[in-house]
Amino acid sequence: MFEAHSINAEHKDLIHDIAYDFYGQRMATCSSDQFVKVWDEDEHENWHLTASWKAHSGSVWKVTWAHPEFGQVLATCSFDRTAAVWEEIVGEGSGPGERGMRHWIRRTNLVDSRTSVTDVKFAPKTLGLLLATCSSDGVVRIYEAPDAMNLSQWTLQHDITCKLPCSCLAWNPSLSRLHPPMIAVGSDDASPSNGGKVFIYEYSENARRWTKTDTIASINDAVHDIAFAPNLGRSYHTLAVATKDVRIISVKPLPDSAANGQARFEISTLAQFDDHYCTVWRVCWNIMGTILASSGDDGCVRLWKDNYINNWKCVAVLKGDGTSAQSSDNATSATQNSNHTAVQPALSTTRYQRIVPTISMMAEMDKVIQAPLSMNSKKYQTSSIKGRSNKWVMPGIPSEAYFEPPPPNIAKSKNKK
Amino acid sequence: MTSRTSYITQEGPANALALNKDNSQVVIAGRNVFKIFTLLDDKFEEFCNLRVGKNLNLNFSCNDVAWNLIEDHLLATAATNGAVVVWNLNRPSRSKQEHVFIDHKRTVNKVSFHTSEPMLLISGSQDGTMKCFDLRTKEATKTFYSNTESVRDVQFSPHQAHTFAAVSENGQVQLWDMRKADKYFQHFTAHSGPIFACDWHPETTWLATASRDKTIKVWDLTAKPSCDFTIHTIASVGRVKWRPQRKYHIGSCALVVDCGINVWDIRRPYIPFASFNEHKDVATGIAWRGDPQSFLSTSRDCTLYHHVFEDASRPASQANPQGIALNTKGDVAYACKTNVSTSTSIEPLTSRIMRKQPVSNDAFCQATSWMHRFTASTPNNSGREIKFFKTCAENYLLSGRLNDVCDHNSTVASNAGRNDISTIWSIIKTCFENPLGSNNNPTRRQVSEPDAVNVMNLLPIGTNNDQLNSVFDNDVRSLQSESAAGAATTATTGMISGGDDETETDEPLDNNHFTGPYLTNYRRLPLDYGKRHQPKGDFSFGECELDPLPNSIIDFSNGGDNFAICNDNNWSLPKEAFPLRHEIQNRSPPPEQFPNHPPEVNNEDAGSILIEDQPCQLVIQCVPKPTFWNPSSLVENTLRHHANIKDIQTTVSILLALGDKRKSINIEIALQEHWLLEYIDMLGKFKLWDVATKIIQLAWISSVSQLNQQSTTVHTCCGTCTKSLQRAGWLCDRCHSSKHALCSLCHQVVKGIYTWCQGCSHGGHIHHMSEWFETNKTCPTGCGHLCEYS
Repeated sequence: MFEAHSINAEHKDLIHDIAYDFYGQRMATCSSDQFVKVWDEDEHENWHLTASWKAHSGSVWKVTWAHPEFGQVLATCSFDRTAAVWEEIVGEGSGPGERGMRHWIRRTNLVDSRTSVTDVKFAPKTLGLLLATCSSDGVVRIYEAPDAMNLSQWTLQHDITCKLPCSCLAWNPSLSRLHPPMIAVGSDDASPSNGGKVFIYEYSENARRWTKTDTIASINDAVHDIAFAPNLGRSYHTLAVATKDVRIISVKPLPDSAANGQARFEISTLAQFDDHYCTVWRVCWNIMGTILASSGDDGCVRLWKDNYINNWKCVAVLKGDGTSAQSSDNATSATQNSNHTAVQPALSTTRYQRIVPTISMMAEMDKVIQAPLSMNSKKYQTSSIKGRSNKWVMPGIPSEAYFEPPPPNIAKSKNKK
Repeated sequence: MTSRTSYITQEGPANALALNKDNSQVVIAGRNVFKIFTLLDDKFEEFCNLRVGKNLNLNFSCNDVAWNLIEDHLLATAATNGAVVVWNLNRPSRSKQEHVFIDHKRTVNKVSFHTSEPMLLISGSQDGTMKCFDLRTKEATKTFYSNTESVRDVQFSPHQAHTFAAVSENGQVQLWDMRKADKYFQHFTAHSGPIFACDWHPETTWLATASRDKTIKVWDLTAKPSCDFTIHTIASVGRVKWRPQRKYHIGSCALVVDCGINVWDIRRPYIPFASFNEHKDVATGIAWRGDPQSFLSTSRDCTLYHHVFEDASRPASQANPQGIALNTKGDVAYACKTNVSTSTSIEPLTSRIMRKQPVSNDAFCQATSWMHRFTASTPNNSGREIKFFKTCAENYLLSGRLNDVCDHNSTVASNAGRNDISTIWSIIKTCFENPLGSNNNPTRRQVSEPDAVNVMNLLPIGTNNDQLNSVFDNDVRSLQSESAAGAATTATTGMISGGDDETETDEPLDNNHFTGPYLTNYRRLPLDYGKRHQPKGDFSFGECELDPLPNSIIDFSNGGDNFAICNDNNWSLPKEAFPLRHEIQNRSPPPEQFPNHPPEVNNEDAGSILIEDQPCQLVIQCVPKPTFWNPSSLVENTLRHHANIKDIQTTVSILLALGDKRKSINIEIALQEHWLLEYIDMLGKFKLWDVATKIIQLAWISSVSQLNQQSTTVHTCCGTCTKSLQRAGWLCDRCHSSKHALCSLCHQVVKGIYTWCQGCSHGGHIHHMSEWFETNKTCPTGCGHLCEYS
């Protein structure tokens, strides 16, 4: 069960982004009203607004925290064609109320873009203090603060031109030196004829430049958000993509591919869900990389989790208006598409799965508890969020878990709409 | 009427444009261009070029142009040289120039015809004045002194015939009555920077002003002027024009930076309602074509564009209306547009109907977000997961005897509700455990001599009998005392080296207890056995035998061979072994009960003893051979599997717990480093720094173990002037003294290690100080500080 707590953000226009800091105890929001707000959690788990300032002269699209080892640092990007880096400083003045007062000051304003800057992200901390921005004219820029103590000095290290307008970017969070720095960039170009909309760039230490190493060709629709799952030591990377549906893509580096000119990655779709039945705007992983949250124009957050055979499933639906947590009946009746979702529970199961039978997994298999799954037939009643068992097997037929289920017939289900 | 976006390129940029009365023709004017175009369906057709004649003087260089909206043949331009020029299209000659008013001393910024009196023209100039011209008398009838440096725009009110508004570079708006030239009747400061343009709302008494301070403000002038709306744009605003028939819409273009033309809904002042991005340089003028769907614009990129609303981009619809974030506790923060779609609104039916009625404009401006934080009220999946992670991170043992560590961790995992992980620990324990019990005595160095091997192969399973065993046991016991020293080593070092382990010889042997499992295992072994058989030939036992060092483990690994040798004389299996074996057998991994044990060739005595005992050993050895099995590949797979299923905690914990045994696991160091770093990072997110530090300390990879040693710098300063010491610790560059570096006892400069009391900060040569404190407790300087205790 989830409890919904309404937060009165008092932004005067749409909120475009929310970001938790590294520890999840601070939260920043940004809005079209050109303000950025910072919220802190007190010991009673209440959130308080602790700072609010006009950050840009246009809509603020994204806000992101730097790793705390660099201080309390935020980066924002805006329709006003700039990205900015902000640092919270603790006042040292002697006047009444000044000492200990915290406030945010702009450390730098990155003005290289000639169009709206659509995303900004700090690199994993192992790469130093690096910042990537992308803009709607299709340029990705990598900035570096050579001196981590001096946040006002940023140098533009690279600019990479994508052919299409960029809407989002994500750093590969892997801390391994086996994985060269990698950025995935999504484009919200709507025309399918322009090909794949997610590009993967990698930095080559030898060439000292970023090159596009792959394009995810299977995604032809506008991409609104992408997110790498925390790597946590995996040999492959997992990328969630918000487009007209939710996709989970695995990007597996192939050994020695550079030498023989083959594809750098083996890219496969692990899962694809169109439960939102409309544009999906955001995707976000939990820090363990076990749960993916997606949100779409249906005003719902859906949480996805995979089981031991990488079979992804919806585990919760949260209503954006906070109602469902109180009453599942309401939520269900209010769901416009409840009538047709009810007839096709198969859609939320994964279309693609990979079975990795390794020894220890097999060992666990016996122990997997078959939790009673209320999602089985009337899944969408689960729009109220019931905590489920932490183990997942395919609903119904346990043996099915060992075989790849046939992909559900999408065409048919569409007709039922 | 053109219905499509179209454009035409000119030889020079136009500064302004104006439409005629019926919106069928457009005039554009600039420094080098002055033309009239007829608007056709999908293109512009040049109607006439007014920039003709032999004397193309500065009168042709226009800042602004106005088309008389009553007398269609009259045009006026504001020239950069201060002239106001009137043009008559009805003149038969090629030159249409009708009259030139040279009244202003400086550039004229703006000309504007009276809305109802066709013969009245007003101008605003850089010289700070406005002049009203009467086209009939061809003279400037009135001059209005603004008392400001320059007037940027002047516009007649469409509502009151005699009122006009003037805006100036000092940010002031003035309202004048035509009939009272001596003083404005109202004025107010509207902006903090120069105002470049103003525009009267066609229906209400609103005046919009555009300024370099990047804002557009809308003033209600019915009573005391009040700013009703403020639009924040991204650049200085050069021009504003209200959109016809749309009360709240206004178009604007920027003076710098932004090449687009934005149409705003003033009720949603942050994001343009529509945006036209065709121009390559900033736009210089906007003119609506009488209907809300199309307008014309000129730009510094030398183009004249016809824009239609269909082709506009809608930044608001492209904007991401939602935000979502998950934190370490599994809370979900979610913000979304309030009136998303009907599917989510749970409001009463009536309100939904109400909401549907407003036109899209209204929907556009009702843009606010809900923000919610969803917390797990009962432990759900992710909550449990996190709790488990934290519990295990805090309670796992990561070093020590593998058996104990595994037992402990297994219990921890089990208590935390993760029986699967608990089982893994048990399996790990079994894999590496000494099957022969807890008294590890390196009893036999076993020996895989080729002969022995051969003999063993010949022997059928189960031939060992009690008698042999007992004999062997005795031998073993007798050895124990001799090799007691070796026992300790084995216990801790566990298995040595090498992925390619080799089956060892004897160990499993003998016991009757083992027989059952052996038989089953034996069947599986041939595959491996074939592979493993060969290395034996390479193995030189001689080396080991001759090795005088008690701890020969290293030599073995250097030699490239590893023996798993059973060191124990206690032949009973641990209790866990049997139940575990069943599980394992179900799952098809090779049996793992038989650990590899480091060969221990501890001393020559051992070797010689072995030789004596040969017959016994031969018998014993033959049986076990097939059962030897190296768990490292299983463990390797387990580690990789858990990493792949995002369970980095288990992976790293096992890796750490294995201690030196991890050397036998064939996982590249870079990957191990990766795992450690990821786990440490994850611990950081949960603020489990003590655990992270423990791991850093236990790390066997230098890049990880040095993590805590970075970024620590000791700064030294001169004690007298507090300037930092750079070149040497004993000489201050600024005060050129070494006073701060004198030894408190010998009063010489300390050039080596300076030791000091952190309490009173006195110190000196380390040996002097230590001598002093052998006999004294207080500071040698006599400062009275009890240095000993600080």
